Amino acid sequence: MTRFFRIYWTFASNQIKSNFVYKGRFYLFIIRKFLGMFIYYYLWMAVYAGTSSGSIGGFTRGEMVLYVFLSYTVSDIVMVGISSEIGKDVLDGSVALNLVKPVNYRLYLTFQSLGVMIYRVVVPSVFIWIGLEIYKVTELGMPVIRPLSLLCFLVSMLLSFFVYVFFDYCFGMLAFVTTYIFGMNIMKNAALNLLSGKLAPVSFFPPVIQEIFSFLPFTAMTYVPVMIYLGKYPGAEVLGQLGKQAFWAVALYLAGSLLWKKIEKRIVVLGG
Amino acid sequence: MDGNVIELRNVRKEFVTAKHYPGWSGAVKGLFSGEKEKKVAVDDISFGIKEGEIVGYIGSNGAGKSTTIKMMSGILTPTSGSCMVNGLEPYRNRKKNAKNIGVVFGQRTQLWWDLPLSETYTVLKEIYGVSDGDYAERMNFFEDVLELGEFMHNTVRTLSLGQRMRADLAAALLHNPKVLFLDEPTIGLDVVVKDRIRLAIREINETYHTTVILTTHDLNDIEELCRRIIIIDAGKKIYDSTLSQLKKDYGFRCSITFEWKDMPDEAQTRMLRDMGGNIGYRESDKGAKVYFSKKEISVAQVIGKVMGIVEVKDIQIKETELTDIVKDIYQNSAGMGV
Repeated sequence: MTRFFRIYWTFASNQIKSNFVYKGRFYLFIIRKFLGMFIYYYLWMAVYAGTSSGSIGGFTRGEMVLYVFLSYTVSDIVMVGISSEIGKDVLDGSVALNLVKPVNYRLYLTFQSLGVMIYRVVVPSVFIWIGLEIYKVTELGMPVIRPLSLLCFLVSMLLSFFVYVFFDYCFGMLAFVTTYIFGMNIMKNAALNLLSGKLAPVSFFPPVIQEIFSFLPFTAMTYVPVMIYLGKYPGAEVLGQLGKQAFWAVALYLAGSLLWKKIEKRIVVLGG
Repeated sequence: MDGNVIELRNVRKEFVTAKHYPGWSGAVKGLFSGEKEKKVAVDDISFGIKEGEIVGYIGSNGAGKSTTIKMMSGILTPTSGSCMVNGLEPYRNRKKNAKNIGVVFGQRTQLWWDLPLSETYTVLKEIYGVSDGDYAERMNFFEDVLELGEFMHNTVRTLSLGQRMRADLAAALLHNPKVLFLDEPTIGLDVVVKDRIRLAIREINETYHTTVILTTHDLNDIEELCRRIIIIDAGKKIYDSTLSQLKKDYGFRCSITFEWKDMPDEAQTRMLRDMGGNIGYRESDKGAKVYFSKKEISVAQVIGKVMGIVEVKDIQIKETELTDIVKDIYQNSAGMGV
């Protein structure tokens, strides 16, 4: 087990190091994140300015501020795509090099993503969270998050990561069939922004749609951890939601294994 | 067969691709047609390779060399036939097989692009579970034969092609594999780096008894490294023998270039043109080129004949080069309609 981690951890750590290589990219990345979050923030504030009740879909204006920044940072951390990596590997044929090593391709990709995830927790999400917590206590007069809730939030986020990565692995298998998945990836991201709760809380949708969503894995990607942080789930339901996330992680993992078995036989290496 | 590290039996690989049509209308047509095309990349190939051999695996572009390598390294699954490497079926035991083999694809790199070169080796050390002692020993070895030290801490993307190739070769060898697949390891390299790479391959083969399979278009690679060559064309094996046998089979053609002291007169020229014994004769600026088969007449006899007719200033004897032989074999196989 330790050997396992020593092997795969090197992929994560090298990925983290790679993220610091280009200075310009490093700073632009942070600026882009803030830009995205604030556009989103002002949009929602305009929406709230137009309502008289001060609450939409069970969210007060203050909670919406928290939701905006949280969902943005969480989805940024959790949704580290591996399908684009698979797509690139397939298109230029470098998948060959990954297959001649005594390494599991999916775990290799997963740990690379884990590296990116860890990097993104530090740059810059954790600082935004601290800022949010201060805002929450001073401006909204809400209590500081309890250690147990914080723990549940972190666990839930880790589960979200696995749900997304294993989902994206299945999606990435398409690259072996269609060769080019760049366009489909854009479509997928657009759909996920809506389905995972990144753009708007799922509780904003009509009840029927919410019902449908509850049978899909997508809310397990962003919405659940954010709602846990906001304390929107009463006691026992938190465990239920975590269980659901775990279920999807396992189910998508198994689906991925099945797909790989089917596809392994028909791999084509492009580019000679 | 016993003692074979690699054993291929009637291996065949087909690829199915969407059919494409030429031209603008063809590009649009391709969007709507679901037609598939079947291409046979490797067709019924069998051979065995013994431990410690260096085998040159050659063929023209698209002959199926890389596809064979990819099947032996477990990336591709043969359509039919069996392929065993170290007693394992590579594509069924990909991870296990990977521990026994090292692969270099000349056109790709397995080095970590954005990081210093040394990081790649620490990753590989973990992946293959190389012990600290072995790691140090092998790094010393690479330092000696590949001279990696000078750029060990440079970022991979800043390395020259020659440096990168040397580093890639070392990366494939870090775990001391039993079998080394080299797919065009000298592509695009200058003479000095080519020499260094060849030297390293030979040294590794001698020190560790590594079995090496080498595809290349540079026949000097073959001449300097391989005792045995396998030639394939259009997916079929067309020649498999030792290099010396190949030369015996095909290398009997010889040419001698003469430079005259004084230009021969008409009578002499007539005699030269008509020396008999299947000797070809072609005049050039200040001399002539004479072709013959060593099976029929010896070099000394030819020179004697010519010098009996005309006074000679300079002589250059040229044995058939491997390039010519291989060109011959390719063309013959095409001519036979294989």
